Parts: sequence; C-alpha cells; structure tokens
Amino acid sequence: MTRAGLLLVAAALSLIPPPVNAQTKGIPRTPDGKPDLSGLWQAFGTANDNLLSHSASKDVPAGLGVVEGDEIPYRPEMLARKQENFANRATRDTEARCFLPGVPRITYMGFPFQIVQMPDTTTILYEYVHAIRYIYTNGTAHPRGPIEWWMGDSRGRWEGDTLVVDVVHFTPNTWFDRTGNFHSEALHVVERYRLMDADTINYEATIEDQKVFTRPWTMRMLLYRRKEPNIQLLDYDCYAFEWEKYYPYPGL
Amino acid sequence: MQHRVKTLGVAVALVALATPVAAQGQATRPDGQPDVQGAWRPILAGTHSLDPAKSGAADFQERITGVVKPNPSRIVDPPDGHIPYQPWAAALRKNLEAVYENPTRPEHLDTQTRCFVSGSPRLYYFPTFRILQPPGQVVFVFEEYHAFRVVPLDGRPRIGADIKLWMGDGRGRWEGNTLVIETTNLKAKARLDVVGDFFTDNARIVERFIFVDPKTLTYEATITDEKVFTRPWTLRVDIRRMPDEEFLEWACTEGERDAVHSSSGINGPGAP
Repeated sequence: MTRAGLLLVAAALSLIPPPVNAQTKGIPRTPDGKPDLSGLWQAFGTANDNLLSHSASKDVPAGLGVVEGDEIPYRPEMLARKQENFANRATRDTEARCFLPGVPRITYMGFPFQIVQMPDTTTILYEYVHAIRYIYTNGTAHPRGPIEWWMGDSRGRWEGDTLVVDVVHFTPNTWFDRTGNFHSEALHVVERYRLMDADTINYEATIEDQKVFTRPWTMRMLLYRRKEPNIQLLDYDCYAFEWEKYYPYPGL
Repeated sequence: MQHRVKTLGVAVALVALATPVAAQGQATRPDGQPDVQGAWRPILAGTHSLDPAKSGAADFQERITGVVKPNPSRIVDPPDGHIPYQPWAAALRKNLEAVYENPTRPEHLDTQTRCFVSGSPRLYYFPTFRILQPPGQVVFVFEEYHAFRVVPLDGRPRIGADIKLWMGDGRGRWEGNTLVIETTNLKAKARLDVVGDFFTDNARIVERFIFVDPKTLTYEATITDEKVFTRPWTLRVDIRRMPDEEFLEWACTEGERDAVHSSSGINGPGAP
C-alpha cells in the first residue's frame, strides 16, 4: 500500500467512534466499576458568550464555537425572536436577571462545579449561584409533567463508560448563551459525560425542541479537573439589589 | 523484638487517632466515617424565632387565636435561654421585632424572605437536608434555597480571611459518632431568624452533630462574636431521620429577591 493509502486508512480508522462497551483505561472508578466522575471540574472557553464561532469583542475572547456544524437550526419563524433577544440581551438575558441558568448552560457558565457520585444519585454542586442538580441513576423515570423547573428533571444511565443524562421539564425562560439563543418549555436535553483520562471529561449535550428547532443539534466541549491543592468551591451570588448595605443591619 | 512491638503499638495508636471510631453496630463509609447518609429534618422546624423556638406558621396561629404555646428557647447556654447580646445589639434586635410584620425599610425584611442563603446555623432548624459522604468530606444539601455545604475532613488549611462565604468555611472531624465542624469566614449577611437575631462576619461557630442513634441527631452550635455578644452561647436542635425522598426544585425567584416587589410599604431603592 502506498504511503498516501496508509494515511487514508489511518484517517478513516480515527473517525470510527470507540464501541460503547470499550473500557477506558487509567480512569478512576467507583467500587461498582463505573467511571468515577467525582471531583471539581470546570469548562473553559467562550460558550457562555456565544455558542457559535465568533471574533473577539470587548472583554470577550474570540471563540471557535462548540456547536457541531457551527449552526443552530432555528425554524424560520423563530429567527426573529433570536434577533430580538440579541438586541435586548442586556436586560432580557436570564443571567442578567439572576435566574438559575438551566441545562446545559450551567455547565459552561465558567465557574467550577463539584460532582458527588453515588450509586443511585449523582449530585452536582455548582459554584455559580449555588445551583444544585440531582441526576438519579436508580432506573426511575421522569415524573409526569407538565412541570416547569429552571434546571429540569435529570435521569441518568450508564452506556458503557458514558453517563447519559436525559433532562426534561424546563421553563421557557432560560437562554443557552449571552447572544439570545433560546428554547421553549418543550426542551429536551441529552447530556453525555465521558472520562477521556483521569482529568478530562468529554461533555456533549444534544438539544431537541421541536417548537424552536428543525432538528436536534449537539454541542461539545471538554471539562477539566481543577487540580490545585486544596481547591474548593467558593460563592458566586447574583441578587437584584444592593443587599449588602442593609444586612445583617445597616452599617454592620 | 521489644522495640518492634513498641513501634507497632505506636502505629496502632496513630491509626486509632486518624480513623473515626464508629460505635458498635454503626455502619461505616469506605473511608471510615460513621455512615449517616440520608435525609434529616428538625422535629420543630421553623425560623420565626430562636427564643422561644417558633415557626412562622406557629407565630401566625398565635396571633389569630391569641393562644401562646409555651415553646422552650433553642438556646441552652446561657442557662436563662437568652442570647447574651451587648446592649447596643439588643436594641437593634428589639427594634426589628417591632416592625417585621409591617416593613417600611429594606432591612426590615427578613433575609430568608429575600432568598439569601441562610447558612449555619439557621439552615439546621428549618428545612429538610440530606447528608452525603464522599471520601474525606461531609456534604449537606438543603431542600430549600438550593443551598449546599461541603465540609472537608482532611484538616486542610483555612482559606484567606478576606473570603466571606454564606455557609462559612467549615473544617470537620469525627469524634466517635459526633461530627465536629469549626467554621470561620462567615459572610453573616443573613440573620438567624425572622425577628432579627444576628451576628457579624467576626463570628466563629463550633457545631456538634451528635448522632445519638440511626434515627436521631442532636445539633448544637456554639457561636462566638466579641463584637455582638458578651460571651459565647449555644443553641440546640433535635433532628430526626426522614424517608429518603427526592428533593424537588426550590428556586427563589427574582420577585422575591426584589425589595420593591416584596412589600408596597418599603421605601427602598427603585421604589415608586
């Protein structure tokens, strides 16, 4: 085979995803053999500023984008709302209004979070507005809706070494980023957490919302383990008024 | 040989010091902690007042019926059951008690109404909470206010004094079946109850979670703050195990965090 032919075969092989049951070596595992996602993690990048590729602007570095195909497939009639959101982003973004940011946005707010993995439930504690998620991995189904929760209802299962989390029951009131990418209450998110090595998680979120998009679309990014000695979560709060001068009593 | 036995003895003693000693029959976690995972809730849950221990619902009922129930104070030291305020602090607190029902200024509203993270000790006499015990840590997640607290047991150094946290910075250790947490770096912006009990960010708290039996927890918090009190004081809460049910989302939303929308009588920033 020619050298070019060999390269072609190698390139083709690298495109084949690893089989679902393949065991990743060298990653931490729980006593029951599951990959152990426990620890402090953080996404780096500009996904919260803009999910799509973008040039730099004031205080925002340029970014390659995290969406597969670099396109969010809005229904034609929904594009106007996206543009309106962008024009009014300073006041309309739910981040500016201190709401819980929803899923998957909480993952890439740019703050650390701690995963506490137990056999039946994986709890995620986020430094950003001290949000909490409970991902039930005990085989239970979503509660019957309609329910509108900021962070949705998360049910997880293991597919080989990947934690797959199905999330539904959202409010229509959160955005995906600061440019006004949005969804409805019909949002359905499937997250995939897969340890690539001991300190890196490949994170994917597939977004489905038939009211807003013409097809499901997927974002992908890496989560990095925070390895500093004695690293711990601190506080990041978001309140609507200057509370600090009034409490516990004015002047104290 | 004698020397070797002696060395072994020292090693055993060191292991005994380093490893929590669980009572007989008590399940342990893989890292040796007594296993106290699960959901817990105060038997008398409510944060209207510490002295006497009273919930908001009980206070409302008392005002409607005129029948005052003789609830004991949560304060167990000093023996008189009263928080040992310095005179200026007692005056502040007394003034607030007179206006909490009809607030006219932003600070008249209780911090819980504003969805602040109440922190320690207040979150231990109000909502249901769950204890998780990953290796080397005790994690508390609270059903309300999406509050959580991670307490390391590894004796790591304190964070910088200028960092203030809603839950404070706790360092824990097990003494048999008692979890002892020493907490500093308190933000101290939340109050201790609706009627205005408080401390400042100078406060330190030593908490003792005494796991009496698999279903019973006695919580004690000793609070020291030379700026506010004449001496350290201690409160106690009786807590029982609850069925381990799923916590639903409990999101405090903007309207509740916003002074203008919380009471039409408030002359706060942005008031009409």
